[in-house]
Amino acid sequence: MSAFVTLRDLTKSFGGFSALSGVSIDIKEGEIFGYIGPNGAGKTTTMKILTGLISSFQGQVTIGGYDLTKNRNEIHKLLGYLPQSVAFQEWRTVNHALLTFGKLSGLTETQLNERIPRTLELLGLGDVRYKKISQLSGGMTQKVGLAQALLHEPKLLVLDEPLGGLDPLSRRQFKDIVLGLAAKGTTVLFSSHILSDVQDVANRIGIISHGKIKKIGTLGELKAQFTQQRTIEVLLSGSSDKWQQLSALNGVSGVTQPQQGVVLVNLEKDTQEDQAINDVVAAVAKLGIRVRGVWLLEPSLDQIYFNYISEAEN
Amino acid sequence: MPTGLLFKDELQGFYKSKVMIFLWVGLPVIALLFRFLSAGSSGQELPFTLISSIVVSSIGGTLAAVMLAVFIINEKNRHVYDLFLIRPIKRQEIIVAKFFAVYVCVAIASAIAVLVGAVTDFATTGVLPATLLSDAAQSLATTLSMIAVSCGAGVLIGVISPSVLVGAILVIYGGNQISVVPLIPELLGLPDAAIYTIALALAFAAALLGLAAELFNRKQF
Ligand SMILES: Nc1ncnc2c1ncn2[C@@H]1O[C@H](COP(=O)(O)OP(=O)(O)OP(=O)(O)O)[C@@H](O)[C@H]1O
Ligand SMILES: [Mg+2]
Repeated sequence: MSAFVTLRDLTKSFGGFSALSGVSIDIKEGEIFGYIGPNGAGKTTTMKILTGLISSFQGQVTIGGYDLTKNRNEIHKLLGYLPQSVAFQEWRTVNHALLTFGKLSGLTETQLNERIPRTLELLGLGDVRYKKISQLSGGMTQKVGLAQALLHEPKLLVLDEPLGGLDPLSRRQFKDIVLGLAAKGTTVLFSSHILSDVQDVANRIGIISHGKIKKIGTLGELKAQFTQQRTIEVLLSGSSDKWQQLSALNGVSGVTQPQQGVVLVNLEKDTQEDQAINDVVAAVAKLGIRVRGVWLLEPSLDQIYFNYISEAEN
Repeated sequence: MPTGLLFKDELQGFYKSKVMIFLWVGLPVIALLFRFLSAGSSGQELPFTLISSIVVSSIGGTLAAVMLAVFIINEKNRHVYDLFLIRPIKRQEIIVAKFFAVYVCVAIASAIAVLVGAVTDFATTGVLPATLLSDAAQSLATTLSMIAVSCGAGVLIGVISPSVLVGAILVIYGGNQISVVPLIPELLGLPDAAIYTIALALAFAAALLGLAAELFNRKQF
């Protein structure tokens, strides 16, 4: 399938400062793309370029077959956007904001009468429909921002840190909403600093640092390429020193006990992981060690992220 | 038509943020105050209708320019426009809607002030000279066209100013003075000067608005 969103060689500088250099990203239709990177890396700048808010840049943006510089209006028909710090006029109520933005996005009065309550209910905002936005809490304001982005059911959702300020339950609900939309074909680009959330929903992940893309791939691909020590973690019940004998196993380079009850079995470079786990399980059974769990320690997105970012810093 | 929608929206905003009350009650009240102050000091009483027109034309323009400039700078810097700009509307519609919303509000305030003047004159003297009324109508027409110029200047200043402070300075430097430009035919003493004044004012206001819209189109958010 060809990409729904194509960013080619995006380059942007503010004065002499280069905020983006040569950023290229493809996002397929129905894909959820997680965009991560340190503060000031260029995530918001990328999003502002592809939403048309920043119009002076080098490079090419194509969305749904339309070229951004030639067909901004057509692209805007496809777009839902949540800015990093969403702001509304002080006098607006939630309802009024959604009415206005819905109409500007081409919804009719009848559609709005049905969709506004539905969207607010979905986000848990049913009670505040007629309240002034300026009187809502930070997280609720953020949700109103989400509501205006979702209301017209856009083909492409661009969300700049949508989870900032949301409580754990709301974050979970939000992730479910995004997953549901993507299953129906909505393409999603979102940035976040909460890597576990990115890991939960993103089909593919892009890591940016200092305006340059460091890595793009699925979580699996990022993990596979992540060259770190592969380790099996064994949780012991009871204290015994017999675990030291695990170092004698084939393909094991060493065994450590970082804390009471936890043993880490480091594997040699070409050891097959599944075989090694089997061997460890068999060995502990034979040694009469009581264990509570054995598993392969996979690099978390956090570790992968820190690895690429520290590479970029050096 | 998004401009119509945005225009209605702005008016609702003015209503909800009480801008309308302050304009429509405030301006006539200021005109009333002027009347009693001038009655007390000069001894020779001017017709209130005339005082109203003078007050409205001197305050109304500044008011319109300040309102527009502050509105636009404020909303621009708070990034309120982002959610509008990413929707399928033309950028300039935002600016044009604001222009007309403020213009209509200030124009109504001016008309109310002049009307209150005429009514007060009638109530106190019992007569309403036809010449005075037509004078007032003509000066209202001139005032309204000058307010249009001030609105144009206000929009332009709003679009180009980085901060409210700079906007306020620019309005005081030039936003108000610029509305005097259409008075040139009058100052030159041309026949039918009022018509030229109105035409010149409208053209000038349109030019300022067009320039502001063009700059807004090119703006980076
Ligand atoms: N309007 C601007 N003028 C000057 N510099 C800017 C402007 N906007 C962004 N920058 C700079 O560009 C760089 C990238 O900023 P950007 O907002 O894209 O970062 P980000 O990845 O979104 O960071 P964060 O995670 O903190 O939101 C930063 O160094 C920032 O200071
Ligand atoms: Mg950002």
